[in-house]
Amino acid sequence: MAQANSNKPNVTQKQFFLGVFLIPFLALLTALAAGAVVMLAFGDDPILAYQGLFQGAFGSGRAWSVTIRKMIPFILTGLSVAVAFKAGLFNIGASGQFVMGSVCSVAIGIHFEGLPMIIHLPLAILSGMLGGMIWGAIPGLLKVTTGAHEVIVTIMMNYLASLFAGWTVYAGGTQGQTPGPLWDRTARAISETPDVFDSAQIPWLFGPPYRVHYGVFLALIAVVVVWWLIYKTTIGFEIRTVGQNPKAARYAGIRVEKTVVLTMGLAGALAGLAGTIEALGLNHKFAPEFGGQVGFDGITVALLGQTHPFGVVIASFLIGALDAGAAKMQFESGVAADIIQVIQALVLAFVAAPLIIKALFRLRSSDDEKHATKLNTSWGGS
Amino acid sequence: MPTQRISWLSLLWLSSVFLLLAVTSLPAAPIKVGLVTDVGRVNDRSFNQSAWEGVELAKSNLGLGDRDIKYIETQDAKDYADNLAQFIEAEYQVIVTVGFALGDATVKAAKENPDTLFIGVDQFQGETLPNLAGLIFHEDQSGFLAGVLAAGMTKSGTIAAVLGTDLIPPVVAFNEGYIAGAKSVNPKIKVISTYHPGEISQAFVDPEWGAATAKQAMDQGADVIFGAGGLTGNGALQEVASQKGMYCIGVDADQWFTVPAAHPCLISSAMKLITPAVADLIGQAQAGTFEGGNVFGAAGLAPFHDFDGAVPQPLKNLLKAAKAGLDSGIIKTGYGN
Repeated sequence: MAQANSNKPNVTQKQFFLGVFLIPFLALLTALAAGAVVMLAFGDDPILAYQGLFQGAFGSGRAWSVTIRKMIPFILTGLSVAVAFKAGLFNIGASGQFVMGSVCSVAIGIHFEGLPMIIHLPLAILSGMLGGMIWGAIPGLLKVTTGAHEVIVTIMMNYLASLFAGWTVYAGGTQGQTPGPLWDRTARAISETPDVFDSAQIPWLFGPPYRVHYGVFLALIAVVVVWWLIYKTTIGFEIRTVGQNPKAARYAGIRVEKTVVLTMGLAGALAGLAGTIEALGLNHKFAPEFGGQVGFDGITVALLGQTHPFGVVIASFLIGALDAGAAKMQFESGVAADIIQVIQALVLAFVAAPLIIKALFRLRSSDDEKHATKLNTSWGGS
Repeated sequence: MPTQRISWLSLLWLSSVFLLLAVTSLPAAPIKVGLVTDVGRVNDRSFNQSAWEGVELAKSNLGLGDRDIKYIETQDAKDYADNLAQFIEAEYQVIVTVGFALGDATVKAAKENPDTLFIGVDQFQGETLPNLAGLIFHEDQSGFLAGVLAAGMTKSGTIAAVLGTDLIPPVVAFNEGYIAGAKSVNPKIKVISTYHPGEISQAFVDPEWGAATAKQAMDQGADVIFGAGGLTGNGALQEVASQKGMYCIGVDADQWFTVPAAHPCLISSAMKLITPAVADLIGQAQAGTFEGGNVFGAAGLAPFHDFDGAVPQPLKNLLKAAKAGLDSGIIKTGYGN
C-alpha cells in the first residue's frame, strides 16, 4: 500500500497509516500473546517475562541505548532488502554484503595512520559501502546476463563473503601457515584485525556505558535518501515499475537490465553500510564472530515494515527492542531468550499473512485484496 | 541537540542510581553469582553447561539460595558487554563468562568494575588484573593423551580428528596435541585432521558436517575418531557410534554422560575439568582468597567406562606415564613453544 500510496493519490492517509504503522504493532501484539501461550505451556510466567523484556528494552538509559544500537543495522539491512523488493528482487545476500562492508571499511580503518578524521572516516565508510555495493551488484549482473536467479546467487555469495572475511583475518601462525592480510600480528593465535585508528571510528554519542554512536544518524539519513530516491525520482519510478511489471517497463522504454543491476548495487551498498557502521562504530575491528546474521534479520524487518522506508524504521525499532530486552527477560524470569526468536518468527508469519491480522482485528479497507497480494507481486514479479 | 539529550539521559541515569542506592542499603546478602554464556544454550552439553554446573556446585558448597545464581544466554556476539552489564547493574559479586570469545568484553568489564570479581573460562590473560581469573587448560596435553589412546587402540594405523574451527586456538591445541601424542606411540601413524571450514558461528553447531566428515575419515580407513568441536564434534561421535568396530573419543567434558548416543564407540574423552575449577574459584571469591591472572584447571582423560576391559593394561600404563611426563614437563607436546 505504501507504493500504491505514491502511485495513486486517491489512497487515503488512513490507509497509509494502517499499512506502515498499525500492522507491525498489531502483528507484534499478536505474536507476544502467542508467545505468552507458549510460555504458559512450558510453565513459565509470561507477565514476569514481559516485564523483564520491557525493562530491558526501555527501562533505563542503558536499555534505550541498547535498543537504539540494535536498531541501526536492522534499519540498513531492512532497507537493503526492501529496496530490492521494490524492483521485484529478493535479496537474501544482505548478510554477505554486511560482512563485505565490515571487512572493506576496516581495511581502510586499520591503515593510513595520521590521516585527519574528516578524510579517514568518510574514506572508510565509502570503502565499506563500495564493498557491499560490488557484492550486491554481482548477483544483479549475473541475473541480467545469464538469467541466474538472484536468490541462489546471493545465498552463495553469503558463503563466499564469510569465507573470504575469515581468510583476511586468519591467524594461521600456530600451524605455520600464511596469516590473512588484515590479521592483527599482536593478537597471537586470535583471528581478528587490529582496532581501527581513532580517526576512522564513528564517535560515541554519549560514551560507554551507553554504546550508541553517531551511526544512528547515518542510518536515518539513509532512510530519507532511500525514500526520496524510490518515491521522488525517475530512477525510483523505474525501480518500482520494473518490480510491478518488467514487461510493461520494457515496453515503456525502461532499461530493465540496468535497473536490476542498479537496484542490487544499491541494496548491497545499504547492507554494506550496515556492516561498516557496526565495524567502525561498535566493534572497532573485524572478527569472524561479528558475522552477518543481521542481514537475514533484514528480511524480517523489510516485510514487517511493509517494504516502506519509514515502515522499516518502525519495524527495526520493534525488532531491536525485542532483541535488546531478551537478556533482561531471561535475567528476571528465567525464560529462555530463545523465545524472542519464536516471537520474531511469529511476527513475520503474521505480517506475511496480513489478512489474518485484519480479520483478527476487524480492520477494513477498500482494497483488501491488493494489500494481501502486494508482497507476492513485489518479490515474485519477474 | 546532543547536549539536550545528554542532560535528559543523565537525569534518567541519576534517578536510576538513586534507586539502586536505595535498594543496596538493605542488609548484606550472600554472594550472588551470574554467568554469561557464549552464543548458545546453557545446556549445550559442552562448555556452557560445564561452567554452569560449576556455578551450581558452588551454590551447594557455599549454601547459596536458588535466587543467588543466574545465567544469561548470549544470542549475539555483539551483546557480550551488555549481558555482563546486566549482572554488574544488579550488583552481582562474581560474574562467570564462558568462552574464549568473551575475553575482550570480560577484560573491559573487569577494568571498569574493580570491585566485581570475574572468572573467564577458557580466557588467557595477557596482563594480570586482580579481579579477573582466566581459567585455562593445557588442551594440547589433554589432546596428547587422547592421541596416545587412539594410537594404542587403532588396528588400521589410521586415526582421525573432526574439529571445530582453527580460528579458535584451543581447538588447534587439541589437534596438535592429538597428533603429537599419536606420533609418540607410532611415528608412522596416519592422522586425518579436518577443521570445520565455516565461520565461528557455524563451526560448533554443525553436527551434519561432523557426521559426514567422520564418515569420510572412516571410508579412508580411520578406525579411531576424535570429535572436538561442540555439536559438530558430537555429530561425528554419533556417526562413529552407528558403525561397527569403530572407536571414538569425546572432548571437553566426559561425553559418556553428555552424549549417550555415543556409548557404542566412546572409549574416553579429552577433558577439561571446568566444573570443579569454576566451583573452586567461586569458593575462593567467597573466602576472600581470589587471585587474578591465569589459573590452570586440570586436564586429562575421562574414565573408559564400558571399554575398561577393551583397553589393554600396557596402554593404560603408557597413558599413566604420559600423564606424569606431561605434568612434570618431561614430555612436551610441541604446541605453542
